Amino acid sequence: MPDIKIANRNNVIYKVDKNRPLLDSLIEQGLDLPYGCKYGGCITCAAKLISGKVDQHRQVALNNRQINNGYIVLCVARPKGDCTLEIGVESHDTLYRNPFLDPLEPHELKKDIAKNEKTKNGIL
Amino acid sequence: MTKMECCGPGYSSPAEAIKAPAEKLVYSIAIYTGTGIQKPDYLATVDVDPQSPSYSKVIHRLEMPGIGDELHHMGWNACSSCHNDSSMSRRYLLLPGVRSNNIHVIDTDSDPRAPRIHKIIDGAEIKMKTNLSGPHTVHCLGNEIIISFLGDAKGEAPGGYLHLSKDFEIIGRWENSMGNIKFGYDFWYQPRHNVMVSSEWASPNTFMPGFDLEEVGHLKYGREIHFWDFKKRVPIETFYLGEDGLLPLEVKFHHNPDSTHGFCGAALSSNVIHWWRNASGAWEWEKIIDVENEPHPEWPIPVPGVMSAILISMDDKYLYLNNWLHGDMRQYDISDPHNPKLTGQVWMGGLLGKAPIVNGVKIAGGPQMFQLSLDGRRLYVTTSLFSTWDNQFYPEIRKSGGVMILIDCDPENGGMSINSDFLVDFGKEPNGPSRCHETRYPGGDCTSDIWI
Repeated sequence: MPDIKIANRNNVIYKVDKNRPLLDSLIEQGLDLPYGCKYGGCITCAAKLISGKVDQHRQVALNNRQINNGYIVLCVARPKGDCTLEIGVESHDTLYRNPFLDPLEPHELKKDIAKNEKTKNGIL
Repeated sequence: MTKMECCGPGYSSPAEAIKAPAEKLVYSIAIYTGTGIQKPDYLATVDVDPQSPSYSKVIHRLEMPGIGDELHHMGWNACSSCHNDSSMSRRYLLLPGVRSNNIHVIDTDSDPRAPRIHKIIDGAEIKMKTNLSGPHTVHCLGNEIIISFLGDAKGEAPGGYLHLSKDFEIIGRWENSMGNIKFGYDFWYQPRHNVMVSSEWASPNTFMPGFDLEEVGHLKYGREIHFWDFKKRVPIETFYLGEDGLLPLEVKFHHNPDSTHGFCGAALSSNVIHWWRNASGAWEWEKIIDVENEPHPEWPIPVPGVMSAILISMDDKYLYLNNWLHGDMRQYDISDPHNPKLTGQVWMGGLLGKAPIVNGVKIAGGPQMFQLSLDGRRLYVTTSLFSTWDNQFYPEIRKSGGVMILIDCDPENGGMSINSDFLVDFGKEPNGPSRCHETRYPGGDCTSDIWI
């Protein structure tokens, strides 16, 4: 069972099931976490992955910039091994951006349209 | 004249509604979802009786059972559309959770100051039985209820309409077809013309995480409005609004049930679209208000207004709109709906720095949702749009919360001014700063009643 260390909660460690979403495992063990849709479609439960790897192929909410900044959505993310996380809105420093002041590059869009962009450029 | 058979909810006509007593309480939802405070969203009761010692204060808070709903819009179980049905009453307020999919049915009648939860329709059950998620607008439909949902169970557009019985049982999907509609959002119907009009925001998976401007170009946001055969429950005509109608959000018909005139606020284009049925029976549309983008010293491009809501006064004389990013509320005389005239404007918050402080309180956000009294004199305005979008454009709202402001409106001569005696600071709530959004009045307001 992987160890999940919460860096901004005094490095407390939780042992979790590899096959279950982190949100379920951590809430069950008493960690107070925000959440919304519970299917990977909104970013209310977003946390920052400091180290380790997760499988979050079911998420449809994060754009590629947010993913590159380390964000994961806990309601669908499953740990592939030991991980260190920062949780809650304190970890959201680069999750939100003013879309007019700080536009996304084509490769930073959500995966479905970032791919389209790539294909288009490939054809051109 | 009062009709003898009349003892159901609401009023026999818009003219009768205007004569109703002034509201003493209003309800507003307030959210903690996305704020960092681990508390449920709640329904706040606000005292709006100027004679009361608790005037301009939250006097009751009804918490939802769990966190993370993101309460947003709401609607009554009944309105003037069943005025002649004495078995009905305007008693239950339906509060959908956009993110959780739960529908909370709130009893406001047992104790109007302290509403209580009557029933909760579980979001998972709605997904399972109807394949819908992302609830938005609630309208009653005679003695039944329809709610627009923006996505299917997986959060993909276009969603559809949930049909509930008067006892809040799931009947199923209301519509017989979504036709070629790409997105859902708001809707309003005008039964005497057998028409419903619906608008387009985006799929829940697109708008819930926040706003990426690039996704507008990738056609992830709407730019069409749709006309329905209301009885057949199918869309029959679509208007492509193009660049003039990016993110067409709120739709309102005239309150006069004989009128075919209606209006839509296109949020990103910051335009008002007007539609009507012409002499030969065809629907037409035109742009009647165009709010120019405004320069900002720190922005590389001018700031759009972001007209996220519109409202028509009960006498159909005035249209009110907001510019959430600019920070102004406007009143237009639409006596001639083809030629609106700006008759009032006030500033509160916004990014242009015109009114950072209102009644001594620093405003985070801009005017967003608003609700008008039946007599057209009191417009209550709140400042939060949607948790993730607030966090992008007005990050300081996390610490300062939302506010509710009262604008005094002059229905005779036009004009509006901020009332200096009223302000509810949701930044000072007992559990920490929350964000207020849609407001409803127990006796009905200017977005709750439809006449058949």
